[in-house]
Amino acid sequence: MSRRRIRTILLKEWVLLFTDLNSALVVTLLPFLVVGQGILYIWLAFRFAGESMLAASVFQTALQKLVEAMPGVIQLPGQEQLLVLLLSQFNFFLLLIPTMIAISVATFSIVDEKLSGSLEALLATPVKTWELLLGKALAGAIPALLMTWLSGGVFLLVALALGWGHLIGYVVTARWFLTLFLLTPAVAILSFMLGVAGSARAKDPRGAQNTALLIILPVFALIGIQITGVVWFTPLLILLLALAIGIADFVTLRAAVRLFRRESIVVQWR
Amino acid sequence: MAVIETFGLSRNFGKTIAVEDVTLAVEAGEVLGFLGPNGAGKTTTIRMLAGMIAPTEGYAIVAGHRTDRDMEQLHEMVGMLTQTPGLYDRLSARRNLQYFASFYPSVESQSQVEKYLKLMGLWERRDSKAGTFSKGMKQRLALARALVHEPKVLFLDEPTAGLDPEAAGEVRQLIRTLREEGRTVFLSTHNLNEAEMLCSRIAVIHTRLLALDTPEQLRRRFFRRQIIVQLEASDAKVMEVVKSLPFVQEARGEGSQLILELTDLERNRPELVKAIVEAGGRVIGVSEKQYPLEDVYLKLIREESGNES
Ligand SMILES: Nc1ncnc2c1ncn2[C@@H]1O[C@H](COP(=O)(O)OP(=O)(O)OP(=O)(O)O)[C@@H](O)[C@H]1O
Ligand SMILES: [Mg+2]
Repeated sequence: MSRRRIRTILLKEWVLLFTDLNSALVVTLLPFLVVGQGILYIWLAFRFAGESMLAASVFQTALQKLVEAMPGVIQLPGQEQLLVLLLSQFNFFLLLIPTMIAISVATFSIVDEKLSGSLEALLATPVKTWELLLGKALAGAIPALLMTWLSGGVFLLVALALGWGHLIGYVVTARWFLTLFLLTPAVAILSFMLGVAGSARAKDPRGAQNTALLIILPVFALIGIQITGVVWFTPLLILLLALAIGIADFVTLRAAVRLFRRESIVVQWR
Repeated sequence: MAVIETFGLSRNFGKTIAVEDVTLAVEAGEVLGFLGPNGAGKTTTIRMLAGMIAPTEGYAIVAGHRTDRDMEQLHEMVGMLTQTPGLYDRLSARRNLQYFASFYPSVESQSQVEKYLKLMGLWERRDSKAGTFSKGMKQRLALARALVHEPKVLFLDEPTAGLDPEAAGEVRQLIRTLREEGRTVFLSTHNLNEAEMLCSRIAVIHTRLLALDTPEQLRRRFFRRQIIVQLEASDAKVMEVVKSLPFVQEARGEGSQLILELTDLERNRPELVKAIVEAGGRVIGVSEKQYPLEDVYLKLIREESGNES
């Protein structure tokens, strides 16, 4: 029964999601904007500011750490070393995609339903609230993951097209896969749960999103920390990071389940 | 057999007491009117009875299930029309119903959805989005949703609020149909006429249960029965004679009308008329004074507010 219900919820969420222009755009176009923008910045930096960036001491430290992690880089010309450094940020940059999609779907699907009163009507049926929550979470997580992976692929294709093919070996490493297949799901779940929490009190989806979007700040922080050479994220570090976020997932999941009880929704979500 | 029974049902929200010590029973097949002003605790009571929130004290048994314990079984037995229709505006009428029907394990959703779309007069519009519906159509769709799993017990929270007279009439007609089908209906409303038209008994709530009785008994309880004698013109002599009659307990004049309380409203009537005529009064008509239920209700609520202060 639960499986059938969850599938029904999932499908209904998708119908609603893709019949709403805003949400549909967030899911389908935003990933490409993120990728396109990232590549544009890298290309511009590489093309026009490469010299001065190479000279900057921040990048010197960062390059040093990059070379320590991948000694092969040292054989590349200076410009290309910088390019590898910039392209290596892309795995974290991609984390913006699951974050935004999961938050957008969570807030959209919950706040909308809460404001229209359909959530209350649902709570009078035998559906279990965890089935509802899981159905909605999958409705957000599946497109979030698929679009992130798709974006990763698009990024590699564009890099190839720009003639950076010989550098891809330095970018698509264990770090890349760990980020895409461990960190991305963990971040997507965390974002979704924050979206649920934001939705509980919010009077409209935007209010909920504003609360939940705070999670984007740590993602930017990650990029900042790495590009300025403060810390170079080795595969082990990424693994630990995924573990930490996994723990955060667990904690927020429990909070979200409690927040998503019938009683709480009816009484507190006003 | 009682289908809904509550025992000292109470619910607080922090310091606010929303419902206090409500004990009542609703028989199978009964349509009970649940009346009260804004904030009286109608929705809160319904939510407790439908297993959506727990009481802070007391408990309720609906269709044989404790509403705070066997929620899943309970939800299969009860239907709920929430105060707002709560439909998915971007889904068609049919999809709206199918979605909700799919949560009931024993429901053949295809045929049930068709049955209720037809019954509610929405079959022609089944593939239109619910967002394009009028208020009345939305309410009928919401009713269809509450009925799609053939619940024995129905909770209707202000089903005609905000509808135009025609749409409200249609909804009332549907409630009559439900009554004929033998379903138990718990009908919360502000509208006294509606309650009187549809309900066998009426409960008046204002945090506490103030009264629970048939409309007729409620009237009797709060207003002594009075008789109105319509004369051609007011007449002081007639008034004097009437006052001296042994079975007249109270008499007052209002224009050309005499308003009287008698020991026995039926049996004293011929004597009364005879005495008036003999005193020279010209009687146009004799009737019993009708108090609208509205007055009963207002009296109850006022008394209650009076007690509080
Ligand atoms: N979730 C809640 N949190 C806090 N107070 C609440 C909550 N729900 C209801 N109340 C309070 O409980 C009281 C009863 O509210 P309820 O909604 O049950 O009244 P009602 O009879 O349905 O009113 P109306 O006719 O306006 O629908 C009110 O004072 C209300 O403010
Ligand atoms: Mg109410």
